[in-house]
Amino acid sequence: MSNRFVDQGLRAPVNVTWEVTLACNLRCRHCLSSSGVAAANELTTAEALDLVEQFSQAGVFQINFGGGEPFMRPDFLQILDACHDRGIMTCISTNGTLLNRPLVERLAKSRLVAIQVSMDGVDRKSCDALRGDGTYETALRAVDILAKSPIPTSINTVLTAANAADIPELHNLARSLGVSLRVSRFRPSGRGAENWEELRPTPRQLLDFSTWLAESGDVRTGDSFFSLTSQERQGLGLNLCGAAKLTCCVGPEGGFYPCAFLQQEDFLAGSLREQSFQQIWDESPLYASFRRLRIHSCEECQRFDQCHGGCPAVAWHLKGRIDGGDPECLENCVTMAEA
Amino acid sequence: MNEPKVSLQRACRVRKERFGLLFYDSRGPRLLFAETGDLLEPGFFTGEVSVDETMDRLTEAEQRKVTGLLSNLVKKGFIREQQIC
Repeated sequence: MSNRFVDQGLRAPVNVTWEVTLACNLRCRHCLSSSGVAAANELTTAEALDLVEQFSQAGVFQINFGGGEPFMRPDFLQILDACHDRGIMTCISTNGTLLNRPLVERLAKSRLVAIQVSMDGVDRKSCDALRGDGTYETALRAVDILAKSPIPTSINTVLTAANAADIPELHNLARSLGVSLRVSRFRPSGRGAENWEELRPTPRQLLDFSTWLAESGDVRTGDSFFSLTSQERQGLGLNLCGAAKLTCCVGPEGGFYPCAFLQQEDFLAGSLREQSFQQIWDESPLYASFRRLRIHSCEECQRFDQCHGGCPAVAWHLKGRIDGGDPECLENCVTMAEA
Repeated sequence: MNEPKVSLQRACRVRKERFGLLFYDSRGPRLLFAETGDLLEPGFFTGEVSVDETMDRLTEAEQRKVTGLLSNLVKKGFIREQQIC
């Protein structure tokens, strides 16, 4: 999708990824942000609530909360309430360890929240190997509680070499629990970079996943798989990098970035402590450069109209430049698998 | 003339953009870009602006455009069934 309305520039993102804290009670091997200990200077409650108001004024439709583990932040419910009071829809990515029935009942009252519980394997052995001891059972318990609530719930799985073969079975598990499955792309960011070579899916695994995805219309892939998306899923609008155009990311300390996978100093568009959100969105030269970004090296490719060069974040992490074309795109996977 | 009923689905939102209106459906998520210029305000879909009064001030051609948009929004699940005229 090359959308002339998006190309003209929207007055605000459609949704924002907000990593509210770096604090996490797990140490997942593929964590994009190396979460564990809270960042030194995370936004205060007052700053966070002011940011919610700024998002509301700008017209942001949805905030996707991640981290770290969002529920580790003591004022997280207050931030959520502020969003819901303003009609902003929210989605929370959580490891599920801190969810219990009373909390789910409280969350369900807003009717504006969706929850993704991370689960990276179809059984205890495979999930715990990536996320830590006991995480499978804990996530399963959280999903079970959520499935009995009105909250739209999904299992969120990061596709890795270790679990690629389990994805169809995870899909069945999600169905049996009455929730959906969302598969996210593994990127060499944070601790994911340290474990990249071991956990990186092979080209064959990515091709097999792409084929399976084409046949599994109810599986969500969210942000990440447009470069792998086959023709059958084009109608789902998964073929465009929305960074700085439809979406953006704010980190725990109020820094704004194009997306959650590019939270490096090189990609800092501005800080909430120095500028308003609207100023950053409208005036940041970095965001402007992402809106102008064209992957010329991919323009001759037969799939260019479908993926527009793929994920700039993966290109940057693997090739050192955002305009280098996605090294794990469908075309490259075919070439690498044949080689 | 009955009061037209225009109501966004619970999972949907709308806002003003330079080209007109941008609709968002969190269930997809999906977007719909409506090139309406200044014809309609988001409040038309949220009950803050009178549908009757808005329709009355439009030309016939504009009314047809709005009616077409409403039909499309119903078909695509952004708004609930409504009655115009």
